[in-house]
Amino acid sequence: MGSLKRKSTEDPSVERLSPQKQQREDSALLNTFEESVACIHDVSYPEGYEPRSSFSSSSRKDSKPAKEFPFTLDPFQSEAIKCLDAGESVMVSAHTSAGKTVVALYAIAMSLQNNQRVIYTSPIKALSNQKYREFKEEFSDVGLMTGDVTIEPNASCLVMTTEIWRSMQYKGSEIIREVAWVIFDEVHYMRDRERGVVWEESIVMAPRNSRFVFLSATVPNAKEFADWVAKVHQQPCHIVYTDYRPTPLQHYIFPSGGDGLYLVVDEKGKFREDSFQKALNALVPAGEGDKKRENGKRQKGLVVGRAGEESDIFKMVKMIIQRQYDPVILFSFSKRDCEFLAMQMARMDLNDDNEKVNIETIFWSAMDMLSDDDKKLPQVSNMLPLLKRGIGVHHSGLLPILKEVIEILFQEGLIKCLFATETFSIGLNMPAKTVVFTNVRKFDGDKFRWISSGEFIQMSGRAGRRGIDERGICILMVDEKLEPSTAKMMLKGSADCLNSAFHLSYNMLLNQMRSEDGDPEKLLRNSFYQFQADRAIPDLEKQAKNLEEERDSIIIEEEDSLENYYNLIQQYKSLKKDVRDIVFSPRYCLPFLQPGRLVCIQCTKTEENSPSFCIKDQTTWAVIINFERVKGTEDDASRKPEDADYTVDVLTRCTVSRDGVLKKTIKIVSLKEPGEPVVVTVPISQIDSLSSVRLIISKDLLPLEARENTLKKVSEVLSRFAKEGIPLLDPEEDMKVQSSSYRKAVRRIEALESLFDKHEVAKSPLIEQKLKVLHMKKELTAKIKSIKRTMRSSTALAFKDELKARKRVLRKLGYVTSDNVVELKGKVACEISSADELTLTELMFNGVFKDIKVEDMVSLLSCFVWREKLQDAQKPRDELELLFTQLQDTARKVAKVQLESKVQIDVESFVNSFRPDIMEAVHAWAKGSKFYQIMEITQVFEGSLIRAIRRLEEVLQQLIQAAKSIGETELEAKFEEAVSKIKRDIVFAASLYL
Amino acid sequence: MRGLQLSLNQTQKLRLQRALDQLESLSSKANSNASVAVADTIPVNYEDCVLKGHGTLELDGEVVATLCGVVERVNKLVYVRTLRARYKPETGDIIVGRVTEIAPKRWRLDINFSQDAVLMLSSMNLPDGIQRRRTAVDELNMRSIFEENDIVCAEVRGFQHDGSLHLQARSQKYGKLERGQVLTISPYLVKRRKQHLHYLEEFGVDLILGCNGFIWVGEHVEAKGTLIEDQTDKAEQLNTKSSSSTFMSLEEQERTYTSLETRQNICRIANAVRVLANLGFSVTVEVIKETVYLSSSLNLDIHEMLGSEFYVLVAEGEATRKSMFTKKKG
Repeated sequence: MGSLKRKSTEDPSVERLSPQKQQREDSALLNTFEESVACIHDVSYPEGYEPRSSFSSSSRKDSKPAKEFPFTLDPFQSEAIKCLDAGESVMVSAHTSAGKTVVALYAIAMSLQNNQRVIYTSPIKALSNQKYREFKEEFSDVGLMTGDVTIEPNASCLVMTTEIWRSMQYKGSEIIREVAWVIFDEVHYMRDRERGVVWEESIVMAPRNSRFVFLSATVPNAKEFADWVAKVHQQPCHIVYTDYRPTPLQHYIFPSGGDGLYLVVDEKGKFREDSFQKALNALVPAGEGDKKRENGKRQKGLVVGRAGEESDIFKMVKMIIQRQYDPVILFSFSKRDCEFLAMQMARMDLNDDNEKVNIETIFWSAMDMLSDDDKKLPQVSNMLPLLKRGIGVHHSGLLPILKEVIEILFQEGLIKCLFATETFSIGLNMPAKTVVFTNVRKFDGDKFRWISSGEFIQMSGRAGRRGIDERGICILMVDEKLEPSTAKMMLKGSADCLNSAFHLSYNMLLNQMRSEDGDPEKLLRNSFYQFQADRAIPDLEKQAKNLEEERDSIIIEEEDSLENYYNLIQQYKSLKKDVRDIVFSPRYCLPFLQPGRLVCIQCTKTEENSPSFCIKDQTTWAVIINFERVKGTEDDASRKPEDADYTVDVLTRCTVSRDGVLKKTIKIVSLKEPGEPVVVTVPISQIDSLSSVRLIISKDLLPLEARENTLKKVSEVLSRFAKEGIPLLDPEEDMKVQSSSYRKAVRRIEALESLFDKHEVAKSPLIEQKLKVLHMKKELTAKIKSIKRTMRSSTALAFKDELKARKRVLRKLGYVTSDNVVELKGKVACEISSADELTLTELMFNGVFKDIKVEDMVSLLSCFVWREKLQDAQKPRDELELLFTQLQDTARKVAKVQLESKVQIDVESFVNSFRPDIMEAVHAWAKGSKFYQIMEITQVFEGSLIRAIRRLEEVLQQLIQAAKSIGETELEAKFEEAVSKIKRDIVFAASLYL
Repeated sequence: MRGLQLSLNQTQKLRLQRALDQLESLSSKANSNASVAVADTIPVNYEDCVLKGHGTLELDGEVVATLCGVVERVNKLVYVRTLRARYKPETGDIIVGRVTEIAPKRWRLDINFSQDAVLMLSSMNLPDGIQRRRTAVDELNMRSIFEENDIVCAEVRGFQHDGSLHLQARSQKYGKLERGQVLTISPYLVKRRKQHLHYLEEFGVDLILGCNGFIWVGEHVEAKGTLIEDQTDKAEQLNTKSSSSTFMSLEEQERTYTSLETRQNICRIANAVRVLANLGFSVTVEVIKETVYLSSSLNLDIHEMLGSEFYVLVAEGEATRKSMFTKKKG
């Protein structure tokens, strides 16, 4: 098998890696050619660092390796292990399935051998649990610390979430002085918008003498990351990068409504244009009616299928099973889709009786730890029949225990067909033969977009089981046209860059300010964000220089007077625009947009980017047919009719050109030019002026002749008025525009017009071209200016202003003194890291928690951990509502102080980020209700609710610490009671991996 | 008058009295009549939910002080800040302590608190700087790091679940203090600041204002080597050193020698602290420096700093400084 693997990767990897090769020039160590085929090895040294002459420390060279593996290591693995043996940090960047864990295992074995501690951090609790189990089997001296559980905190190898590691570093712990190696798994999580900053903090603050192992998905800028680590920690950091997949992938497309697969990228990585086109041609466009629907509803066809037919997904799974492509993971991008699709499989049965018995045994032995009531939860009881047929669902809305059972069943090969969301693509090795993307678009908060190549790489990484499958299969279900370039980008694009998502938080600032040698500015200076910003400077400098040269090379005669003229034109234009804005504000012009009125409109500009420099714009005449209010803006209802946007349908002459299949470009041209008479929709702003002439137009404009006739009439009118010009509506007299600014603008325009005549440059024959050149020069200058501005802001400390503003907030609210010493309130806020620290501290100091019942308090705290917005959540009862209002008031106060201190914040959206949606459910839970009872109260997913309650417990633990630090024992007792009330049953059921 | 025992002549007495009165009048505006003694009722508005912090207790529906001190209010929280009590540790405080006992895997330190603080072996950096788990050998060698009566600088890590107070030494800055002197003053005279470890460059002296009222004045030590230093070499060095450590080599003596000038500076600064503490002025690095400058500008000998004339001068100086400050503010 080994040889087969090597052979299959050889040529693609050589080809792909070539751009990176120049990196190796500055690398101190070159590998033998054979090894460089499969991986790149590079080292970042800190400035002024003398690399040691011999690569590995002589002491260990002759001794036995810390751990031996029963299989031959891949080149990248042995390369990384060599670095570990040398006692130097390493960043391993490889695909999920490539086997990065080997490196982690070796680092652990090595540390244990040297009697050193080793810390393993991962981004997700579930992953930590799984890794704990994996390591525990391998080495016995292993402990686990997540927010939920702590097992053997004194063990030599500690598995924890990155958040725990960070807070350990802030609080100080014995462990810190005993850690030799810190392993950061899935370090590409650093680009996570919300949590990424935790990685940066942990890496910057890590103990000085420790070494690191970073495991990450393939990132193109691994070198940059390593440079940063080398700089911050003043130690060499190796990079081992490989694109290699143990099992090559084949990519297929399944066009919706079609009935076959089309191979678009073969295992050599070649894109097959012909079969891509064939696939798209086989695409049966969703019915005409469907076309206009929003993207969100596109899924419909997938789920329901057309009348009488089987749905696509069913056909797909059937085909996969027939071709023995199972097990298969089908990715979709929402929990609901996931469940819907699984329900489509109702008629399918993929398991034999033997397997069914097996599944049932595993299932019930896992469910055994639940109480009888919880076993009856609909999610539990509905899941089993599905599982028995070999079909599984995996998403974050599931009960954690169900999720784990499904993972176990999947690993055992008892689930043949798993419907999962993106979360399944992270973490433990759970490969399948086939991966299906049920959609190629993803909703990312505000719009649908194509999935990025990075996401694609991550998810398709699940395809192909090492040692079992010769190749992995990856199928895209496409239900709309996509350009070959888009598809190529997605299928063959590079992995996402590892970019910093650094941001400031009050908790971070307070913790930094509290410790003697902590300094928020130091943290900022050492952040990856700053590093990346600094790095961009030379590039920007070069750009600016080039532009400057280009600008200086442009030489214009009589530049001064030309510039003068240019400025006049600019002024004139902006004034004209002002006037038009006034006259054509809907308030004034709506009454005159009757059908049949002749209007003067601007022609579509031929070249979009070059602005014309004639004083007169190119215009043509058209007839109004209709006007319409623009819909679609959210706050449409709240707007007054005068303020809304309008568009006008006009009939005029256009050239229509079709390029491609779907796109039509329409250009409005002057009447005399050849073209078709077409009704087009133009925004009001494109209208130049209104005439007082109205034509009678025929009711039915569908036939071409009717339109042609109308346009003829227009021409007639035009020629009739040719001498004196078409009478226009006078803004003041006819349209009753009464505004002093209008009059002023008109007067200034008149003045300018007279100036134009006097200007001598205007008579120059080449004025047009000259102006264009001048304009280009001006644009260059503006560009240089903006580059210089970014350069200035990046040489300065990033976030400097925000840091100042946030410190101001802390001072204003009395968290720190004027010389930045943390006060009592600040110490409380230091303890709170799992919820909004300022609002919660303020609530506490306002005594809100003091006199309310424990259940009410828990329910109030739930607003801090629940951020999802529910559509039709019922309102909580009055007393809870009252508490929630108090919370909102406090939040508003906090937000206002921030705004006053120039922190950029939207007060209302901050206040609305606290959601009361699960208050009732949590209240009931604290009262002792059963889980199925509280599920009846709310509409949320079981898993989401459980996660919220677990997080709530975390917050309560932090509050206990906070109450302790202010010496309020009653409150402390109250928080402790709250913990005991919510910490029970299924919500805190232990993970199956423990 | 704060138990100050000085032999003052009549004019000095008057001058001192005037200076102290002036100081009192300046500060009286700051803390109003909110001072309480034990069992005093603290007036609160019972309509609000009051949070009762340190030094308070609810007794028969009234909030009662359990400490002598000043009532402080932060929003709805009421607590009593003691004026002259034992040191009460807070997480993150920098303290100076004296090792009283070596126990399994830990040192016990006297830090002027009601209980001894604990410094775990694992919370200390090992002399070889290697990050590793502590072994039994390390435990046996604990005396090579700190012995009884050694003076140690550390940071308060916090109270553990069993109620014991733990310390930690986060970086190389903390650890054993040598070649200097410790002064004990009332902890309330040390205000919490961002910086407690100071290097007074002009004197070549390190000054540590421990929050617990232990002040360290000693010869400046350069921060120990950075991590690029070869660790193995260092370890080897250490081994050879320990073998011959019974006889202090000449080199060693050379290294531990403190020049006379530095010694004088140390004493001068120490005396400045003594004067300030005896007068009951808060001890900050700025005030200490000023006092030292004052003494040298007057050409006073070190021992003369403890004479009554200097006390009076310092008090007067402080009074003018404070009044200038308040004027500037006003």
